[in-house]
Amino acid sequence: MARTTRRTKTLTALAALTATGIALSGCTAGGAEEGGDGQTLKLWHYESEDSAMGKAWAEAIKVFEEETGATVEFEEKSFEQIQKTASQVLDTDAAPDLMEFNKGNATAGFLASTGLISDISDAVDEYGWADKLAPSLQTTAKYSDDGVMGGDTWYGIPNYGEFVGVYYNKDAFAAAGLEIPTTYDEFVDVLDAFVAKGITPLAEAGAEYPLGQLWYQLALLKGDRGFVDDYQLYKNPVDWQGPEITYATETLKEYVDKGYIASDVSSIKAEDAGVSFINGTAPIFVSGSWWYGRFVTEATGFDWTMTAFPGADLSLGSSGNLWVVPENAANKDLAYTFIDITMRPEIQAIIGNNGGLPVAADAADITDPKSSELISTFNGILDQDGLSFYPDWPAPGFYDVIVQELQGLITGAQDAETTAANLGDAYDEGTADFR
Amino acid sequence: MTRDTRAGRTVLPPEQPSIPQRSGGTGAYWLYLLPGFVLLLVVVLIPLVWNAYLTFTRWKGVRAPEFIGLGNWQKLFSDEDFWTSFTNSVWMILAMVVVPTVVGLIVAALLFDVIGRKFGGRVGSFLRATYYLPQILPIAVAGIVIGWIVRPGDDGALNQILGWFGIPAVDWLGQMPSAVIVLMVVMVWVQIGYPVVVFMAALQRVDPELYEAAELDGANWFQRFSAITMSIIRPEIFVVTLTCTIAALKVFGPVYIITRGGPAGATLVPAYYAYQEFFTKRNIGYGATIATVLTIVVVIVSIVFIRVQNSIERKERAGL
Repeated sequence: MARTTRRTKTLTALAALTATGIALSGCTAGGAEEGGDGQTLKLWHYESEDSAMGKAWAEAIKVFEEETGATVEFEEKSFEQIQKTASQVLDTDAAPDLMEFNKGNATAGFLASTGLISDISDAVDEYGWADKLAPSLQTTAKYSDDGVMGGDTWYGIPNYGEFVGVYYNKDAFAAAGLEIPTTYDEFVDVLDAFVAKGITPLAEAGAEYPLGQLWYQLALLKGDRGFVDDYQLYKNPVDWQGPEITYATETLKEYVDKGYIASDVSSIKAEDAGVSFINGTAPIFVSGSWWYGRFVTEATGFDWTMTAFPGADLSLGSSGNLWVVPENAANKDLAYTFIDITMRPEIQAIIGNNGGLPVAADAADITDPKSSELISTFNGILDQDGLSFYPDWPAPGFYDVIVQELQGLITGAQDAETTAANLGDAYDEGTADFR
Repeated sequence: MTRDTRAGRTVLPPEQPSIPQRSGGTGAYWLYLLPGFVLLLVVVLIPLVWNAYLTFTRWKGVRAPEFIGLGNWQKLFSDEDFWTSFTNSVWMILAMVVVPTVVGLIVAALLFDVIGRKFGGRVGSFLRATYYLPQILPIAVAGIVIGWIVRPGDDGALNQILGWFGIPAVDWLGQMPSAVIVLMVVMVWVQIGYPVVVFMAALQRVDPELYEAAELDGANWFQRFSAITMSIIRPEIFVVTLTCTIAALKVFGPVYIITRGGPAGATLVPAYYAYQEFFTKRNIGYGATIATVLTIVVVIVSIVFIRVQNSIERKERAGL
């Protein structure tokens, strides 16, 4: 009996200590409510120091501190880090005042729908940011209550843009006696001509985004804005055996069969594909404007250019990532002031002159000729309302599905119809919540 | 006493001298165990129970989980990817348990018995350290290097070597079954040092007189290895097999770094699949269900191993 009593006491003590431990850990996580001091802006972003945006944000921090007298407490994060853990951190007092976040339904839209990031519509009106952003750039900044982009409420501000086009090695074209194509038929003729000369023309990567982006670009050749709205904004169900997807999937397989793309591309990563363009191994690379600055620095052994995908009215692309203000931010007003500084022409010009795509730059400030060429291509796409976003956006985790299914297609493990059907199943499952 | 009653056979002498009891009883010992219990509760048990609860919910990781009953469990049984991932675990067990244990056993015996004798202890120690090296290399670093080696096309080191012999380049990680084979070879390379080190330590326990006696009786190396070495280091073989099986079932890092489950899901394993559901699809409830199944499988495997080991030991003791 004495033993039982002792055991009971011990267990009681154990339970009490555990409860104390949990309570203490709870205190740490929840913390006491701390209002903002109005003097410190806690900022997270994931642009590398030497990128166009990284340079621009560094300058913006300097200007902000000079003008407001407040201090910026900057924490460098990685894209993956913010992507994977933001939803947990934003629900606590550890949330920053301002954060860069990926745009799209499954990302910023998700945070918006859960109330973790602030409705900043009032600040947009106050500062007049909407006037500086083209309509197709606004789509990814505004969300519905369900987190679907293109809604009525502002949840973020983008201040740069991006799009997918085609990079051409002009020297390789000249050596082969070929012209830079302006139509899709000419594009295919060029591909055939390179293959005939024993050159695999397209740098591709089946283990990461480039192949999926090419697939979607091929679908956009047959699609219109209605298709994009159905696919991205869930206006109507997407027909996964319809003409757009069927054409994209079958044509991509043809690209491999005809030797436009190397047959062993399924395990290649984006970096390797980019490097094969930089090396001059592959004369054509279908990919995003985010490579542009790097090519300016590294692809110096030959002359090159970039255009929108030939013959396409619609291009992959969108605003860049967004500045979002967490609902738990302590210093929201400072966050708005910082966003406004990043929209100033002088900060935007830094983006433009370093290979980025500013959304509110003064054309006269862009002194670099290569950057001017890129910006004018982007503005051409904006003028015809041509931004069509990215294929993996509609459903969380759809990126991995696209990579895996297209790997199955190009390795011959499955046919085009099965690939489209599998993609459709995953898309329907992943978007069920939004419909 | 319990063991004696269960065995129903001989009453065994205690294996270890008993720890002297203080007159105050065992109460004071609880104090020392307390921090461990608290940690166990906070770090293991509470998350385990929470994870089990999540299997009955639909949760995106924020706000409250929504209770959906057995929905996730039903989905699991018809989910092809889930079954593929567990099928691939068999390949991982082959690469991380079967091959390393068998090869490790032979290598350890050779290092101890042959190399050690003929070339001296230093050579044996050097080779042992060499085998162990992959174990201390971060898998992220090793994975990147392996990626370079098996790169497709003519750039990859392996393909270049094959090219010298006129063998055409292979897309090692981009197709089946080569992707699984590469992953398995990497895992054998990573794992082999662990059994070698454990078995070599175990071999120190073998009385050299036993070998000498066997040699005098005319036993060859293999006979000595199978009759003496294997029998004496059996506990270590059990430990290695158990820990490696658990590691094989939980394997994540190499798959994440080298293949990301590709091509077309061919190298998907349960831990990576759970990660995908948790972090990329935000199907936390479903990810928790996969993780729970994995935990259950690991626990069952551990129990079976320990029971088999105990049973063999009991039989051996009874036979003494």
